Amino acid sequence: MTQAPSTAFHGALPTPPALGRGTKVAATLLLLGVSLMVLPPLLYLAGAAIRPGTIGALAGAALVTLAGKSLSLAALATIWAMTLALPLAWLVVRTDLPFRDLCRWLAVIPLAIPSYIGALTYIALLGPVGTVNTWLSTLTGTNQQWVNIYGYGGGVFILGLFTYPYIFILVCTALDSTNPAIEETARLLGEGPLGVFRRVTLPMLRPSILAGGLLAFLYALSDFGSLSLLRVHVFTTEIYHQLNTRFDHSAAALLSFVLVLITLAVLVGQRLLWGRRSFVTVTGTARVAPPMHLGRWRWPACALAGVILGLSVFLPIGVLLSQAGSVGQFAEVFREQWGFFKNSLWTAGLAATFAMVLGLLIAYTAVRAKGRASASLSGTVQIGYAIPGTVLGLSLILLYNTYLPWFYGTVGVLVLAYLIRFLTQSMQGVEAALAGINPHLEEAARSLAVSPGAVLRRVLAPIVRPTLFAVWALVFISAMKELDATLLLRPAGFDTLPVRVYIHTVEAEYAKAAILSLLLIAFTALPWLVLTRLRGKKLL
Amino acid sequence: MISGITIIIRTAAALLIVSMAGTVLLPPADAASDRLVIYSGRKEKAFKPVVEAFTKQTGIQVDLKGGKTSGLANEIRMEKANPRGDLFISTEGGIMEVLAGEGLLAPYLSPVTKAVPEVFKSTTGTWTGISGRARIILYNKNLVAEKDIPRSVLELTDPKWKGKLAIAGTRERTTLAWVSALVAVKGEAFTRDYIKGLLANGLKILADNTEIWQGVGRGEFAVGLTNSPNYYLAKKMGLPVGVVYPDQGPQGFGTPINANAVAIIKGAKNPDAARKFIDFLLSLDGQHILVTADYEIPLLPEGDSGEVLPARSIKQPPVTEQHLAVLAEPTLKLLTALSPDW
Repeated sequence: MTQAPSTAFHGALPTPPALGRGTKVAATLLLLGVSLMVLPPLLYLAGAAIRPGTIGALAGAALVTLAGKSLSLAALATIWAMTLALPLAWLVVRTDLPFRDLCRWLAVIPLAIPSYIGALTYIALLGPVGTVNTWLSTLTGTNQQWVNIYGYGGGVFILGLFTYPYIFILVCTALDSTNPAIEETARLLGEGPLGVFRRVTLPMLRPSILAGGLLAFLYALSDFGSLSLLRVHVFTTEIYHQLNTRFDHSAAALLSFVLVLITLAVLVGQRLLWGRRSFVTVTGTARVAPPMHLGRWRWPACALAGVILGLSVFLPIGVLLSQAGSVGQFAEVFREQWGFFKNSLWTAGLAATFAMVLGLLIAYTAVRAKGRASASLSGTVQIGYAIPGTVLGLSLILLYNTYLPWFYGTVGVLVLAYLIRFLTQSMQGVEAALAGINPHLEEAARSLAVSPGAVLRRVLAPIVRPTLFAVWALVFISAMKELDATLLLRPAGFDTLPVRVYIHTVEAEYAKAAILSLLLIAFTALPWLVLTRLRGKKLL
Repeated sequence: MISGITIIIRTAAALLIVSMAGTVLLPPADAASDRLVIYSGRKEKAFKPVVEAFTKQTGIQVDLKGGKTSGLANEIRMEKANPRGDLFISTEGGIMEVLAGEGLLAPYLSPVTKAVPEVFKSTTGTWTGISGRARIILYNKNLVAEKDIPRSVLELTDPKWKGKLAIAGTRERTTLAWVSALVAVKGEAFTRDYIKGLLANGLKILADNTEIWQGVGRGEFAVGLTNSPNYYLAKKMGLPVGVVYPDQGPQGFGTPINANAVAIIKGAKNPDAARKFIDFLLSLDGQHILVTADYEIPLLPEGDSGEVLPARSIKQPPVTEQHLAVLAEPTLKLLTALSPDW
């Protein structure tokens, strides 16, 4: 491999190459298709929300309180997730951390642990009558309550703990593909290691941190399962509560609509922040940075990584293993519920594949065709992520059962729901990766009379390939875990793994729930393992 | 030169186009399959055995969609234009009255439903009770001394229970039915004061009844208000729990029994199989499985209740399900005005 000269630009990006007519048509078609997918549920929501008398049904003050609580919880969870993800990502990619490859692989596992399962394990550990309290009480001979995971703080702790891989994955990928020569130059110019990180590395990571942070934030904002278990009252739990206790859905629709508006405001804010600074790497083939020697900090750093992975991987899985029982029971549950495994695998796989392809197309259009249509395109996709699963489920029932009844009865509607909810993840990831590619690369290819489609396939796709694998796995993982919409939209008899976990948990069959949770985690993490294997030892 | 990614993208694009075209162009798949579709708000563990026995006896295959009663009821309302389910199983009769009032249920009168006592079925034949669960006080034996065991729900406003009480929110229809029954018997003003008293006593309102019996069993709460099968479930798991059927004395107003109910959804694709299923539920075999699977109370007079306290031994307040259905909305308003947690 030849070493191409490389450089970085700060400030204005070069003008992207003009789009051909074919691309414009494709962009319009894409926008149309995605709008048809995402907007009807939203319109239904708006229609149901904006009805006379609705606003009065929910006192304005209560709405503001709820919004404040939801937003601050999601923000704190995101900050907590960044605190976990950034040092870990830097350590595994850029230093000679012991077991760095293993750590890198393990750090993705929390994504495969649905936050509601994570919450359940921590309730068993840190609940008022959990292991830790019982243990400390016995030890000290008092009947005091030492820790209590229930409540706001617990919600922040759990959501950050199980969403940090969103940031970790994208930051790792970015660290892999940013050219170390830039950092080396800065170091040669007299910057200390911290200065290099703050003034060179961090700005280059910004798109990835923001994209990952946004995913974590939106996850926390739309999460229902773990917050409900942790007895935290936020938007989603209130919406679910309204939907399940009342036949009049206008209050739930209003709440959902407000939640969607908040999310959109966040997305616009993120766009503004994102647009302020940008960088591109001219070469497509970045050289791998030589690992920094940690010296005497090697083992303390390893301990830090161990604590993060312990809290987010070993502890929850350990609790599940202790609840699960014997190997024989494992085999029996596996045999008994194999059909549900298959359901989960192929619906999530299909959704992930669609999401990857659509995400690439949309991100490409959005990044290169900086027009109004493309902005609304990615905006539209992001709306889907903002609609709570339960609300999405209900609106899809109403829409598709009324207008496309023969589609509604099929598993297709489930895959569609996953696409609507998780397309953002793939689009965001690919967009962040594309943002780091110099448009001149494309221009050069195009000047060689290569068609736009071929540019996408032969120039851009290979560069963003690591990201494509990553986003496929992200969407697959999300779809494998999805519970709220699946509960409503699954055809009778078509349960998925999360549905089974939910049912067994509600019915207090904790051993079964634990076994299925472990299998769900294994099956979700498996494609990740396969993908990383396919890509050689580099992982990701 | 074709890279791996190109192949993936091409395959995926082809997949996308084919499936989209398939969705739009293909003739609708035969929706009316001969599998009986049951929407069940009952615990799967409690209900699946009877479904399996039915399939074994009749050869009719069943697709079960489990969930919370009110959530599934909502789904049935949403699917009104094109019903997907054949049968609905609820945990309480009031919600059946609501659905019947909206014209979403199809009546079924048969010899077997005749045997069910009047209080546990619809007056117009749209739904019938299949088994029952009484409202109980569940207490933790390690935390409640013998002499302190409450005999009436009204005792729970006593300051000595402060911070020790829990109940499921109205997402459990049985909680709503319990408060509605109180309103029916004692009046709205009395009930409001009583609930206020409970809340002032630090009553914890949790998501569902599983949280209640687990919480009481493990000692997070001393006393919980829940349904009778949960006592037997907690006991079976070896948790130190005791049970009180409250307000049973001569002056007591009784404790309600909520009927798990079944109804045929209007527009059901398999009405014959649905009727067969109801007949099976109310047969002696069906009742036996249903009752033993989850410690439920048989509603048929000749039903064998096993170790469970039979219906005739429980004093109940004189309230009809129709009355409960009418009270449901006002009761919900009453509760949510006092605390948003309901």
